Formats: sequence, C-alpha cells, structure tokens
Amino acid sequence: MKSIERFYLLRYIKSPKRMLMRFSFVFMVLGIVISVSILSAGLNLFEGYERALKTVLLDSFAHIKIESGNGRFLNQEQLDRIYDTLGKRPEISALIPYIGINLMAIDSENTRGCIFNAYHTPEGEDLHYGKFVVEGRPQVNDGEVVIGHYLAEEFGLKVGDEISLLYPQLRRVTPLGVSSDTRRFKVVGLYRSGYYEFDRSLIIGTLTDARNILYTNDPFAAVEIKLDSKHVDKAKELASSYRYALGSDLIAYPPISGDLLRIVAMQKWLIFIVFSFLVLIAGINVISAVSTMILDRKNQIAILRTLGATAATVRKVINYQILLVCLIAIIIGQAVGALLSLFVVKQGFYRLKGDVYFIDKLEHHISFFNLVTVFVVASILVIICVWIPSRQINRLKIIDLIRNP
Amino acid sequence: MILSAQNICKAYQDSHRTITVLDGANLQVQAGELVSITGQSGCGKSTLLHILGLLDDSDSGTIEIGGVQVNSRHPDAPFIRNSKIGFVFQFHYLVEDLTAMENVALPLLIAGKKISTSMDEAKAILGKLGLQERITHFPNQLSGGEQQRVAFARALANKPSIVLADEPTGNLDPANSLELWKLMRQLNQDLGQTFVVVTHDRELAKLADKSYELVQGKLNPL
Ligand SMILES: Nc1ncnc2c1ncn2[C@@H]1O[C@H](COP(=O)(O)OP(=O)(O)OP(=O)(O)O)[C@@H](O)[C@H]1O
Ligand SMILES: [Mg+2]
Repeated sequence: MKSIERFYLLRYIKSPKRMLMRFSFVFMVLGIVISVSILSAGLNLFEGYERALKTVLLDSFAHIKIESGNGRFLNQEQLDRIYDTLGKRPEISALIPYIGINLMAIDSENTRGCIFNAYHTPEGEDLHYGKFVVEGRPQVNDGEVVIGHYLAEEFGLKVGDEISLLYPQLRRVTPLGVSSDTRRFKVVGLYRSGYYEFDRSLIIGTLTDARNILYTNDPFAAVEIKLDSKHVDKAKELASSYRYALGSDLIAYPPISGDLLRIVAMQKWLIFIVFSFLVLIAGINVISAVSTMILDRKNQIAILRTLGATAATVRKVINYQILLVCLIAIIIGQAVGALLSLFVVKQGFYRLKGDVYFIDKLEHHISFFNLVTVFVVASILVIICVWIPSRQINRLKIIDLIRNP
Repeated sequence: MILSAQNICKAYQDSHRTITVLDGANLQVQAGELVSITGQSGCGKSTLLHILGLLDDSDSGTIEIGGVQVNSRHPDAPFIRNSKIGFVFQFHYLVEDLTAMENVALPLLIAGKKISTSMDEAKAILGKLGLQERITHFPNQLSGGEQQRVAFARALANKPSIVLADEPTGNLDPANSLELWKLMRQLNQDLGQTFVVVTHDRELAKLADKSYELVQGKLNPL
C-alpha cells in the first residue's frame, strides 16, 4: 500500500464520522448488515440441523444390521458365528440381537402402524435405549412395554396405562385369510430419541412377548451393531468387510442412508447460494454509494490528480475507505446473524415439523468454516461492487474536474 | 531552460463555431525567473497554464520541462506533476477534510514518502511561510490569505523546478495580494524558486522579472 493510500485509510479510521453520516453510506451499511446476518443465520440453522439430524440418526439407529440372507430368523449356529467373528472387534461397542415386528396400535379412535422391538441384553449390562426413556423406566417385564412419546400423546396414554396391539395370527390361517389377535400391554416408560419416526412408532417389549406374537421359538430375527463413535462414519466400509468375514448366508448393511445426510448438506449449500444473492442485492447499494462518493469528492480527486496522483492511486484511496466500512459491516452482520439464529432456536413458537424434517427440534451451530466462508464470499461480492463503479475515476479528465468543481 | 513552450494552439469546438483560444503561444522560462502573464478575462490564460502544467492537452505545439518533451497524456505526466511542477489555483483548492499540515503533506505522500516524514516536512514549510500556528487548522478555520499561503506551501512541498500560479491573488484584498507577491519574490530570491504567475493586475505584474500579455492567442512581452 502506498503512503498516500495508507494515509487516507488511517485518517479515515481516526475520524470516520464525516463519511458515516452520509445517507447513501447508512443504507449501504444497513444493506450489508441485514443480508449478511440473514445469510449467516440461515447457514447456522442449517448447520445445526445437519448436525442434530446426524447425531439423532446415529444415536437412535443401529449402525450396522446383520440378517439372515434367506429372510428368516437367525439360527443358533449363525448367531454363534456372528459372536465368534465380531465379538472381539474393537470398533464395535455393542452387539444386540433382537426381534422386530410390524404391528398396529389401536384404540377406539386411532390406529397406527408400529414397530415392536425386543432386545437381548445380557445380565448386568445397561439397556442401550435406556438414555432415551424420559418417563417411567426402561426395563420391561413380560406384558409391559416402553412406547414412543408421540405415540403416547396421540393415544392419550400415560405411564401405567394400557395399550392395545393388533397383530396377525400366523398360526390360524383360514380360508378367509389371516385372522388377527389383540393383546393389551402395560406402558411402563416413554421413549424420546428426537427422531420423529421412532418417537411415534417404536414399542419396546420383551423377547418372550415378541416370540409369542410370532409363534416362534427361534432366538432372534437380526443383530444390531452399535459402532464406537470414532468409527460411525465408516459404517458402510465396515459392513461390507463384515459381510465378507461372516459368509454368504448372512448380510450386513448400514440402515442409515448416507444419501439423506448428503441431501441435507446439499440443501445447506443451496440455501447459502440463494442467500448470497441477498448480499449481491445489498451490493447495489454499495455501487451507488461509491458513485455518490466519487461525485461528492470530485474536488478532492482533482486536487490529488493535480498533485500527481495517478487515477489508479485515487481509485485505491477511495476504494479502501469504502471497503473498510463494508468489511466492518460484514463482521457486524455475522455477529447479528449468530444472535438471530440463537433467537430462532430459543424462541418457543416455531418448531420443525417432525414428519417433514425427521427431527422436531431447531438447533443452530456456528462453525469456524462457515464463518470464514460467509466472510470470504460476502467480501468478494462487496469488492466486486466497489471495484466496478470506481472504474469511472479512470475516465474522469483532470481538466473537467478543475473547470467544473 | 526550465520550461519551454513552442507554438501552443488550442481551440474549443462550440455547437456551431470554433473558438480559438491559443494560437501559437511561445514561452521560455529560465531557472530562477519570476514571470507574469496578464491578459483580458477569457483570453485563455488559465487554458495556457493548464497546458503548461500538464493538466490539459494542446491541439498542437510542444512543451519541454527540464529539457524533456511531455504532454498531459504522457505516462510520466503524473510523476512530473508531482515532482517538477507546483500548481496554485485562484480558488485555493485545499482539501476541506484535511488540516493545513496534511494538505501540504499530500504531494510528499503521493511521492511515496513516509507519513511521519511527510508531516515533518510539511510542518517545516508551513513554518517558513509564517503559518506555524495554523498547522492543525482546517481550511475553513483559515482566512483567505492564509489559505492561499497554505496552497503555496503545498505547491512548494516537493521542491518543484517551477511553480505555476493561476491568479493566486484573485480572491484577496489589495493588502493581502501585495503580501503574497512579496512572499513569491522572497521565495524567488531566497530559494531561487521559478514562478509563472497569471494575474489581471497590471501593477502587480510589473513586480515580475519578465511580463507577458496574452493577446489573440499569442504571448507578447510587455
Ligand atoms: N470546455 C470549454 N469549452 C468551450 N469553451 C471553453 C472551454 N473552456 C474554456 N473555454 C473558453 O476558452 C476561453 C479561455 O478560457 P480561460 O479560462 O483560459 O480564460 P482566462 O483567460 O483564464 O479568463 P479569466 O481571466 O476570466 O480566468 C474562454 O472564452 C472560455 O469561455
Ligand atoms: Mg482563468
């Protein structure tokens, strides 16, 4: 930076009042602050959503599922093979054999398709879903269930009430089709994982009850694997290595679709691009502020040119001052954006629709990467909006400036 | 020869006619001379000075400054304006946002000198012109005569080989005008500073070493 450019910049930092008072400057700063804050807030919320969704998915889903290739229950030999092969793997934090059944919860008004899961938990070990039970207790005895809290809400049930489950009677196939049976279970706990679909359809009961519903003596339908937090991102690769190790009659796959998270990430950047256009619109104010400033300062430009400053130098003198204001406005905008997203999260009146967004809680997250991205993108847009109109300084002829001050 | 202008012509194109302002003006200025140019209002004195100061183009003719031929579009023109020429306008033309000292420091800063050095030198020049009490004043806190002296200080800041002044006393009362002429004379004697001064005051013009009158686009010695 040349002496004269530095001089003007320092001079401006020392007494910025003369310029900030200008009308066009107020609008320019306001435009940048508002657009950048919306851009930042949008990104903070989407980042928060992406992270919350990922956490909820990884927390409430199995990371890898192992089933029999023929669609039947696992037999004892297969189960032993799974334990032998995977039991000592360091990346696996839990191997949970279970039975899952699709059935219906009913009362006089409602019916809802539900998943009835029964897990095998060895003596003395913690129930892996225990942390999600927000009311009552996670332990179930025969005839007892833990149900999703939205399901309880929908059916008007509290801990201690009974829920009726309807399921097909596989042993009694008549010429009219499969008849069904209903059984009542006592609700002993409410489940809340944050994953909307589970919170409104999951029912956890005992293995004995599950086997009774299915009329089977086979031990388990499948095995759920929970991975160590360091390895959750490698579920896909691990699943295929397990499949290879276990043999062809067993299949291992990650039930969480990576596509979902990829789509959410893509949405985040789409929002970013759309909101970036707001900054571009604010850039129009920058363009007019630069033009106004050049008109305002014709006199000064004439003096500097007469004293031997080149057009390029004069241009920089003016650009640096405006850029300084713009960059400060961007930083203020980012701070306001952070407050805005925090406010949206803290306020009570807007919640996410769980059936659309999978989770129902708004989150915001301020990541360093996003801060830098917003700053860089907004700065580039502003620099373009300053640089383009300031080209007119090159076209100003000194003599015209002197003759028409 | 510090400044040499040969056969300078300049005409303005009106909507329906051509106004010839300069029609083969010649001027030679030696180092250490104080030259005055007079002429009727509208005869082209400012136009000539702008051309000599590389602020405007002539239609034809050549200008040599320090033996080098230049014009306003020459790539070195900004450098020459900064280092070889000092310019003073009729309306002092100070930057309103800057103090007297900062105004005087501008040519030094444009030349690339450090900010602190520039300010020190500006202070020294203002002191020489009797303005040491006014260095932190803004232009609107100065009298017309003081403003014009600040403008002279700025023109002198880079020790130019020639100072071009366009009616520097045009806005001053007779006492102040005389004061300013005495100042130029003194700078001319003490520092050997070369001046070309445009004025419409014939009496003041006589104080110069050489006087010219601009008549019908030509410079005639008086
Ligand atoms: N851009 C222009 N277009 C047309 N005519 C112009 C232009 N600039 C100057 N003129 C004309 O050129 C002539 C000379 O102008 P100039 O300013 O050089 O006169 P001057 O001798 O300095 O007068 P004054 O003593 O009043 O300052 C004037 O008649 C003026 O009207
Ligand atoms: Mg004039």
